[in-house]
Parts: sequence; structure tokens; C-alpha cells
Amino acid sequence: MVTTLTFVLVHLAPGDPISVALDRPGVTDAVRQQWRESFGLDKPLGEQYVRWVANAARGELGYSFSHRRPVRDVLADTLPRTILLAGLSLVLSFFIGIAVGVLQAERPGGARDRWLGRVLLLLYSVPDFWLALIALLAFAYWLPLLPAGGIVDPVMHDYLSAGGRIADRLKHLVLPVLTLTLLSAASIARYQRSALLDVLPSDWMRTALAKGLSWRAAVRQHAVRNALLPTITLAGLWLPALAAGAVFIEKVFSWPGMGLATVNAIGARDYPLVTAGVLAISVLVVLGALLADIAVALVDPRVRLS
Amino acid sequence: MIQLTRPSRARLRWAPLALAATIVAGCKGSEPSGNATGEVGGTIVVAMPGDVGTLLPGLVTSIGERELTDLLYDRLAEIGPDLNTLGDKGFTPRLAERWEWAPDSMSIVFHLNPRARWHDGEPVRASDVRFSLNLIKDPAFGSPVAVYVSNIDSISVRDSVTAVAWFRKHTPEEFYDLAYQVVIVPQHVLGNTPAAQLKTADVARRGIGSGRFRLVRWEAGQRLEIVADTANYRGRPKLDRVVFAVSPDFNSAVTRFFAGDADLFDQLRPENIAKLAGDTVRHALRYPNLQYATYAFNLVDPKQPTRPHPIFGEREVRRALTMAIDRHAMLRNVFDTLGVPLYGPFPGSIAVADTTLPQIPYDTTAARALLDSAGWVAGPDGIRVKNGRRLSFGLLSPSSSASRHQYAVLLQAALKKVGAEVRLEETDFATFVAKQNTHAFDTEISLFATDPSVSGFKQTWSTAGISKDGSNFTAYSNPAVDALLDSATATFDPARTRAYARRAFETIIEDAPAVWLYQPPTVMGLARRIHTTNLRADEYWAGMDEWWIPADQRIARDRIGLRPLP
Repeated sequence: MVTTLTFVLVHLAPGDPISVALDRPGVTDAVRQQWRESFGLDKPLGEQYVRWVANAARGELGYSFSHRRPVRDVLADTLPRTILLAGLSLVLSFFIGIAVGVLQAERPGGARDRWLGRVLLLLYSVPDFWLALIALLAFAYWLPLLPAGGIVDPVMHDYLSAGGRIADRLKHLVLPVLTLTLLSAASIARYQRSALLDVLPSDWMRTALAKGLSWRAAVRQHAVRNALLPTITLAGLWLPALAAGAVFIEKVFSWPGMGLATVNAIGARDYPLVTAGVLAISVLVVLGALLADIAVALVDPRVRLS
Repeated sequence: MIQLTRPSRARLRWAPLALAATIVAGCKGSEPSGNATGEVGGTIVVAMPGDVGTLLPGLVTSIGERELTDLLYDRLAEIGPDLNTLGDKGFTPRLAERWEWAPDSMSIVFHLNPRARWHDGEPVRASDVRFSLNLIKDPAFGSPVAVYVSNIDSISVRDSVTAVAWFRKHTPEEFYDLAYQVVIVPQHVLGNTPAAQLKTADVARRGIGSGRFRLVRWEAGQRLEIVADTANYRGRPKLDRVVFAVSPDFNSAVTRFFAGDADLFDQLRPENIAKLAGDTVRHALRYPNLQYATYAFNLVDPKQPTRPHPIFGEREVRRALTMAIDRHAMLRNVFDTLGVPLYGPFPGSIAVADTTLPQIPYDTTAARALLDSAGWVAGPDGIRVKNGRRLSFGLLSPSSSASRHQYAVLLQAALKKVGAEVRLEETDFATFVAKQNTHAFDTEISLFATDPSVSGFKQTWSTAGISKDGSNFTAYSNPAVDALLDSATATFDPARTRAYARRAFETIIEDAPAVWLYQPPTVMGLARRIHTTNLRADEYWAGMDEWWIPADQRIARDRIGLRPLP
């Protein structure tokens, strides 16, 4: 269903990949037609779709016109990079988001809650590409501590020691992961704060306090675990959202991931790559939901028992 | 768009002068100084806006692909810095160490350099030259440059280092057609793959050429690395390596350059250039190009292309609207001091460029009078009307171009002053191309990139170019211009070529199928330690194998040397 819809929508857009690629004087219509034949674009749309589905069922996702490589190879290169970026960011943003949410909920309405709330609102409101650009300027140009983009140093990486190569990779990860983390941690903290405020008036909290636990200990030992369930469910949905939404981060930091490849493919009318990109995101959605279910079962004994 | 710093008022006051000085200093390329001449070594990192798809010259479709294949492969001969396309004047030997014209000029014998080798060690043979032409001419290969070699009948092999090119007819540009358009590729690498499959074959990504650089690494989406070919028949290049780092976002590419991660970025904008005025590590280097931008009127009805356009089919209306546009003010507004005016349908870098051509003047009073006399009278809201039709039309431009967006807004305001209502229609690039190719627009801001040849203009401004094979998107047709352009490409006398071209351009300007807006100012940011040669208008990288870095200015990445990758 998803691929069908994507296939139809992307073909409905004006223009075609060959006209875009061969947009220069002197290219004859015969040459354009030959290219269309080479890539099977001269066939009726229905036939193209049936072929695509048949090939996809065998693991063949077609040929990317813009990359001039099989789509499978393009995804094999780009998807792991995006998952690395989104996965690291997911883990960090949940640690930070949950911690900040707890700090806020411990003293709701207090000075700490208000100040953290303002900062979170600011982070929640800023556009991702803007924050990425500011981070790039701040830490790569004004204060040149980190590289300005890419996955590794394009020249020196291979000539570094093993430790140096690891450090080089980590340095290139810092800015994109940090930017993506800050943006998503802001939302997660708000969810976590809200979930905690929901469970704080519970009877078991009153019991814990009556038994002599301090407010902070009661919150951290009892309330947080109970308030984690909605946040964990959110985590499952966050993975595909991060993977798909990392496109601006990937663009600003020249991170050659799948989001960037898919968006560029839309501009180039690279139909097979767009369809495969959407398919990959769909798989991540399903995978994310599955992971969330497993995580909830691990945390909540009631789910495990049932 | 963001600015890197906020310059003080004092700095801003001096910025134009400093900017001009910086750019003028860079225009001629820097000369090697004394004892550093001949030094080899060093690395250049180029921030490249997008990855490439192929390294097979006959199939290139992007500037990046062209740049890389030009550095990896050699031609038979290289065009001169003046981009002369008539005869062989100015061409310098490459794979062909010499050539001889037949008395009737219907064939040319090329003697290949016997020391020429492919990067895999195989010798370059005359059969490779024949293979290269046949490949481009093969319809199954689908080469975008096939149209340019139609006059070359064939290439025969006299012996392993002697190839004879045979032409269908004697034309002034027959040598250029072969030497410039046919890049020589290895038969032993490509010959076993059917031509129709080369677009998708892995061999098209191997880049085994005969140029002074060879490919050592291509990590898709990240970087390409080419290094000096130390066994090259022309000697090794001065640089050790050039690394192309893919930077798909403009701002990140600029930041990479300013942060020192990249040494060269060839698409600086005016706001970036001002920042370089006092920079001791980097500078701005202006380079010529073969591009020009026009505000084009569609002369046929977008809904029924066999009929003239209800507004722009009328010559006087086009002339009136041209008169309403202050091109110089707009140029200044958009490009500040970097703007290069356009004097007709040609860039200033080609041999037949002529800046003395008479222009339609900027005169809003005359524009109004002309529209009045053409029957377009002002309506109650100020917009002119004729036979119930308002002088209202669309202006198509691609959303990807900041300068064209600025121009679109300025044109809208200018034309409103004479009673024309302009609707801005910004689209993504693919849609823009689709509309352009099908004449589905009223007016558009189009950017043309020509080749150095006069014959290139026929595709854009002759009647033959209106077909699907051409790029005459305005559907402009004037038999006199067709004849003049034919004569310009048929004569063997450069002076007469210029004269015919001038008359053709004069006529086109009078007919006003477009308003001649600007030549895009192309400015690269370059690390000061890198010394360039003269930068050619068709490809600034043509002399990159002679660029050099003085030993005392080298940084860590310059000192890696040519040791193999670990």
C-alpha cells in the first residue's frame, strides 16, 4: 500500500529523471528516448509498477538514475549511516529527556521546572536546520573544535593510527548527533514530565512517603518506573521519525545518509530510490513498534505476565 | 542563508574596495615565485556540491562528472585559453603529439605519443581513438555529445600509434569537433561491455584514463580521491592529490571552506566574498564562465503551441517590456559590484562576444507609449487590457536559484510600473525543466551554459532549435538569423565569423525574444597557499595539473606524499 501510493505520487509529479539529468543544449530527443529505454522508463506506468513489485519481492529494488547504482547498493551505504545517527541520538535523547523530565517533575512549578521548561520550549520551537547551522558555525567555525561535516576527515583519516581513526569518527559524529539529540530530547522531556505528574498523586506514592521515603527518593525509585511506559512506547515511534527527519541534519553536516539520498532523489525524480526510501522508513516504523512492545514488556511486569 | 559574521560599519565601508582588490588580484591566477618553481607535492580538498554518478566521459551529465573525467582522461589535443574553435589554432598536443591535415582537409592524421599509457599500464593505441568515436556515435550508448560528432565520418587505424579521422564535409570546426568533444577512453576496459549497458556497468565507475591524475578511491556520497600518475607520459602533475569532499548543502560547504576543511569551493556568493577581504589564509578568485541568464518570452501559446502567444507573439510588446526593465540597476541590486552585464545572447568569454552591439534602451516612457500604440491601454486597476485580455502573465523560475528568485521579484516590480501584472511561479527544478521543454510557460528566467563554439547558438536561437532536439524554449524563429548563424559556422575566416555572428545577435536583440539579464559571476574560494594557472572559461580546472603549493606553505595534509592507502 505504502509503495503503491509512493510510486503513484512520485510519478504524478511533473518532470522525469532523464529530462533533469540531460538538461543541456545539444542533447537530442533520440538520446533522451534511448536513456528512457535503458532504464525502462518508456514502458507504461502499470507495467513499470508490476515490474518494480516483482523485482522488489526478489530483493531487487531497481536502479537509481541519480546515483547510477543499484538502489540496493545505495541503501546498503546510506541506511546504516542514518541508523547510526538516529540510533545514537535516540539513546542519548531518551537518557537526557527522561532525566530532564524527572528534574522538572520533582518540583513542579518551581524555579528549576520553569527554567528548564523555557529552555525545552526554545529547543522544541527552533527549526532543526537552523539549530544545525548554528551548531556548525559555533563549533566548526567560530570555535573550531569539531569538523564541519562528513563522516571522517576526507584526507587524513586513513593515515591515522587505529585510535586516531576512532577519535576522528567520533569527532565527526558529535555535531550531528548532538543537534538531533537536543531537538528530540526536548519533546521527550515534556512527555516524561507530563507522565510523571500523572502518577505522582497515586496511592502508592502516598504509601511510599508514609513509609519514610524522601520525596526525591520516592519519585526516582517508584514514580519514574511507572511513568516510563508511555515514553518507551514513544521511543518505538521515534526511531523512524528520527531516521526520516534527520534529512536536514544530514544535509547541513554533509552526512550521506538515507534521508538525504531520498530527498535528493525526489528532486531528481529518481523513482526507484524514492520508493525504496519510503519502503525502508515503513520497515523502520514496524521495527520500531516491535521494539517498543518488547521494551514495555521488559519494564512492565503486567505486560510480561499477560 | 546565514552570514558568517556581522561586519562592522567601517569594514563594510571598505569591503567593496577590498573585495575588488581581492578578486582582481585573483583574476590572472598567481604566478610561481622564483625558487619554488617545479616543486611537487601537496593536497587540495575540493568541496563538491553533489556526488557524481559516472566516470565515463561520453555519459557525463553534471559539472562534477565533467571536472573529474577531464582530470582523469586526456583528449587528442587541448583547446587553447582563447577557446578558438576554428581550425587547430591554439590547440596543444595531448595524446596526439602531432597531426597532419590532408590537402583537402577531409581527413587529419593523428600521431599518438608512443609513451602514453592508461592508468592500468596498457599503452594507448590508435584503436582506442577509433573505439572512443564509435562509442559516442553508437545510438545504443546514448551519449549526450553525439550530436557534436555527426560530421566525423569515421576513424581508421593506420598503425598502433596513428589514427586517421575522416570527415563528411570540410567545416571550420571539424578539428574542434573531434579534439574537444571526443575524450579518448580505453577499449580494453570498456570494449567487452555492450554499449547499451555502459550506463549501468561498474566499468563506467573505474575511471581508468590517461590523464595526469588517476583515481584511487571513490566512496559514494562521501569523497573521491585522485592522485598524481607518476608514470604519465606528460610527467606527473605538481600536486600529489585532489580530494573531492561531497558537501550537499551550500552553507555547510561554505563553512567547510572557511573552517579550513576544504581548500576550494567554486560557488561563493557575494556575502561570502566580503568575508574574505582581510583573510590571510583564503582568498576569492573570480573565474570566467560560459553561462548567461535571460528573461525569456514564450513566443507560442502554452496551451496551443502551433499558435503565437496572445501577448508575446507581438514584437512591439516584447520590445516595450524590455524597455521597462532597468537591467543595470537590477544587476547592481542582485550582484553588487560582482555583476557582469549581458549584451546579447552570448557570454562574454566566447570568441564572437561583442559588447558594442546596440541595445534596446531602458525608457519607461517609451515603453508605455509603445504599449499604448499596440492597443494595450490601462484598465481601472492600472493593469493594461487589450480586447478584454489583461496584460497579465506568469514568470517561471526554479526555486533552487537565489539570484533568479531575486530577479523575479525585481522584474515583477519593474513591469508593474508600465501596467503589466506578473505572477511569480517558482517550481522545483524538475518541474521547471518539464515546463521549459514543453513551452508551458509565459515568461521564464533561464540560464544557459554554452560551449565555446558558434554552432552552439543554433540550438538555442535558430528555428531548428525549436524542435525537441534543441533548446530554443522561447520558440524564437527568424529566417534571417538562421541564415546568419549558418554562415557564421560555415565560413573559414574568423573575421567573417564574427561579422555574421554580430549581425545575427543584432537581429535577435532587435526582435527581443528575451531580455539579456546577466552573466552569473563565478567566484571560487581558494586557500592562498594554492597557486593556480590561468583559469579557462569552459573549465577552470583545465590546468589543475599545473597548480602548485610552495613547500614552505604546506600544511599537514600536503605532506602525506604519494604513499599508498593503508
